[in-house]
Amino acid sequence: MIQQRDPEPIGRVVATELKPATPHQFHFWTAQETTIGIGAIVRVEDAAGSGGRGAGRVVYGVVTDGFAYSDLATPLHDVVGAEGDPVRAAESPTVRQEIRLWTAAVLRQIPEEPLQPVPLGQVHVATDADVAQALRMDTYLSGPHPTGIPIGLYTSGGREAPVFLDADFLLGPEAAHLNISGVSGLATKTSAVEFLLASIFQHFPPHKGRIAAVCFNVKGPDLCFLDRPGTLDDEDRRRYERLGIAPRPFERVRYYAPFKADGVNLNTLRTHPDLVADVEALVWGLQEVLDFAEVLLNRDDIDAKADAFIDFLADRVLNREFDDGFGGTHRVATFADLDRLFRAIFDGLELAGRSDMWRTHHIATIRKIRNRLANISTRCKGLVTDDGPSNDLPWGRFEDRTVYVVDVANVDPLGQDLVFARVVSKLREHLERRDLGVDAVVVFVDELNKYAPADGPETYVKKMLLDISERGRYLGLVLFGAEQFRSQLHRRVVGNAGTTVFGRMDADELATPGYQVLSPATKIKLATLPVGELMTRHPHFTQPIFVRFPRPAVLRGRDGVEQFPPAADLPFEDAVVRQLVKLDARIRPNQVKDLIADRTPEDVRRALARTRQARPEEPFAYFRRLLGMRVAPAAAPVREAVSPLNPISEEPY
Amino acid sequence: MRAPAPGSWVDAIIAAGAVPAAYVPDASSGRSDIEEFTGAELVEGAELRTHALGDVRPAAFRTASFLDGIERWRVVSYAGVTPIVRAHVAAAVRVRGPDRRPRAVHEESRELAITRLEALTPAVREALTGSGVRVVEFAAEEAGQPARAIQAARSEVERARTALEQVLGERRAAELGPGEWLVVDGVLSDSAALSEHRRTLGVIKSHGAQFFKGPELERALTLPAGHRTSVFRPRRRGARREIYSWYLRLWPWEGNDLLYGMLRVEARADADTVTQASALSAWLVRERAPVSTPDPRWDRLLYSIHDVETYLKSRAPRDLIAPPASRLPRTGS
Repeated sequence: MIQQRDPEPIGRVVATELKPATPHQFHFWTAQETTIGIGAIVRVEDAAGSGGRGAGRVVYGVVTDGFAYSDLATPLHDVVGAEGDPVRAAESPTVRQEIRLWTAAVLRQIPEEPLQPVPLGQVHVATDADVAQALRMDTYLSGPHPTGIPIGLYTSGGREAPVFLDADFLLGPEAAHLNISGVSGLATKTSAVEFLLASIFQHFPPHKGRIAAVCFNVKGPDLCFLDRPGTLDDEDRRRYERLGIAPRPFERVRYYAPFKADGVNLNTLRTHPDLVADVEALVWGLQEVLDFAEVLLNRDDIDAKADAFIDFLADRVLNREFDDGFGGTHRVATFADLDRLFRAIFDGLELAGRSDMWRTHHIATIRKIRNRLANISTRCKGLVTDDGPSNDLPWGRFEDRTVYVVDVANVDPLGQDLVFARVVSKLREHLERRDLGVDAVVVFVDELNKYAPADGPETYVKKMLLDISERGRYLGLVLFGAEQFRSQLHRRVVGNAGTTVFGRMDADELATPGYQVLSPATKIKLATLPVGELMTRHPHFTQPIFVRFPRPAVLRGRDGVEQFPPAADLPFEDAVVRQLVKLDARIRPNQVKDLIADRTPEDVRRALARTRQARPEEPFAYFRRLLGMRVAPAAAPVREAVSPLNPISEEPY
Repeated sequence: MRAPAPGSWVDAIIAAGAVPAAYVPDASSGRSDIEEFTGAELVEGAELRTHALGDVRPAAFRTASFLDGIERWRVVSYAGVTPIVRAHVAAAVRVRGPDRRPRAVHEESRELAITRLEALTPAVREALTGSGVRVVEFAAEEAGQPARAIQAARSEVERARTALEQVLGERRAAELGPGEWLVVDGVLSDSAALSEHRRTLGVIKSHGAQFFKGPELERALTLPAGHRTSVFRPRRRGARREIYSWYLRLWPWEGNDLLYGMLRVEARADADTVTQASALSAWLVRERAPVSTPDPRWDRLLYSIHDVETYLKSRAPRDLIAPPASRLPRTGS
């Protein structure tokens, strides 16, 4: 509920020739005992307005600096008065006159025109209504289609007021994207994003349609328990109530994780028997990988010849009857098929002894591409299947208010890049066609500076992130990025983030040029921010605002691992049993073990993958039927290629 | 009649024909003192002695009140050669409690117009008397010569300030409870109530009046730091009441001046005063800190008195302060 009570004045604006009041800044003094501090929002009323609100100019400001000094002429005089004894200095019968002088930056003036210096009036602590006015929240909290998304409570000045972001500027189309930075462990970046996602899901304006989130879990168990309730205390619950958010875990969460190298145990920390049933395998074949082969190539690899050969494979070879020119015919659908083709080419060239060229491609180029593709299937075994069917996110069937967690925490960095590039590109592709199932998707990426560093090579992933940053807001593709050091992030990703959030910051980071606009006092506050407090910049706020948010109502990763310890890797047979039982609880383990006892693991893996993909009425019968024959590689569906990214433009953000 | 807004009456008399002026006398910010020998009788011992305060336990008070006043004045216009002075006098009592922070409990100020009404033109006189400002007249014989008139006006301002201080001092003294003391900046002996009160002290910083001669004078004026003299009874002057007094040195005078760091303390003429003189003096020595710099009188000006003065100055009309610029002829006037 918005507080309307008008508080007593707590200070008065002062202006001197050296410290004048300007249209953007003013100074005021308060009593020594005051609730005012850095980040507090205050209201100044012109003397003409003392008869009633609105009669004169009203200025809202946020405190950016504070000063205290006494009437002591020089420090030496204090020494003289105490005769050099600090103990006596503290015992002086009278306390010197002191001042608490504050500097505030103007947030808003009413009327806004003509813009004038701040009047030398009384200063009040801001009420809820004042906070809404000061942050221009009144423009989007009212009207037929309010778009406020609670981000936390403004708690300075001894008061507490909800702060809302504008969904049009957080999630598009006016602006979009959120970036959060701060030191590990103390900035609570992940918790903040979890809380904000819950807030978005509960407050996303109905007229804006359906929304989902895709979260990449890149370290530990951070995002593995979003559907489990966490521990909240009374203060947290009170804050949730104040913000109008129900303190509950996410109702719909879909987990995706690749297999480990054995192809049957999931590569995630969410493997506790009570939870693992919710985790879908993320498995990709050659086709899925080849679309994003550029991700696999390092800087030295990128040349026209390699690009041309990859294009040739995708356009002329993949899923087609193909004559290798040496009398062999191939239909390449899997890594294994492709390797057979490569071998045929090398053998053919060697036997023919005619040249180093095959269909205008040099053998060295062919070997390089073969090496890179083989490399991914080796390094990301479990994510990339040699010849089994793929299992992917539900493209086209995304559900409203659902979180899709893609757990790549234990995947090779190359594989992480691949997953990231493919998932985000597919999101973009479907959002462009408006057939994803939702109208907007928030993509949360931790350690964003790893994918879009300020310096370093122009990788595919970086190009893709820049593209999202600059054009995603029109599509409903919204990037929530987190990193320790914002200064290490590409400036166009930083510049395009409409909303920026800071947790506790490292002092060295605060010394970098990106923080020059902050006062020294604000920097000190940032360097000492308590857990659960953030500084927020948003297009409607003309100055950064400090807010507190309650702990997310989900189980923290660390607690989740203690409460639901990951299961040990099962032997091959048991892992197969578990996956089949997940499809049909009636299946008896011994039945499965007897069936697979004399089969090769590759056959079993392929059959299992096909069964998992088909989800038949009778899984065991289906599985047994597949094992009765050689399991053919999965045929890839006809697909539309992902349109290429626009080249990186040089235009500044 | 309702009191006019500060300074508004000046516009009225100028509109009535008085010539505007802007003269702030140099001595306006200070006070004059009588320079004469009055003599004294010792009431503590047979001869004037010095008493060390190093081992004396300072008196402890629950609260201490401090009284001071200020005066500001300037010649704002002339009617013929008769000056018309605008004066502001104010006094305040600030009480220091256990938190060691002074707070104002009594405060009064007055705005005065000082001149000789019969020397003004009828129009100016009517404008002045009709403005509602309190008019104080100096003697008719002072009106003829501007220099004498200004000196007379100065005396009237000082008298008004002293009277105001006395009103507030007596009001505060009447309120004092056990363990509560009042320290007055200046003499007590102008007021019967103050000079007879058990818990008031007068602290005098200017030493125009001298009470001793010869070796006793030398002993008094070369008093070491952290010492007091024997208590004495100044001989009565005019309407002043009987009082006990002693000298007290706050800071070493060597290297400075004989009067550097020297206070004269006044208290009730009573045997208890003699008994308490050392404890009260030790308490005043403690009041040296914090020092009241940048005031040039900091060696004798107690910080709490300085605090009252600062408080009053901050509330005084700003247009009575001498302008920092030179007194070039005013154009267009």
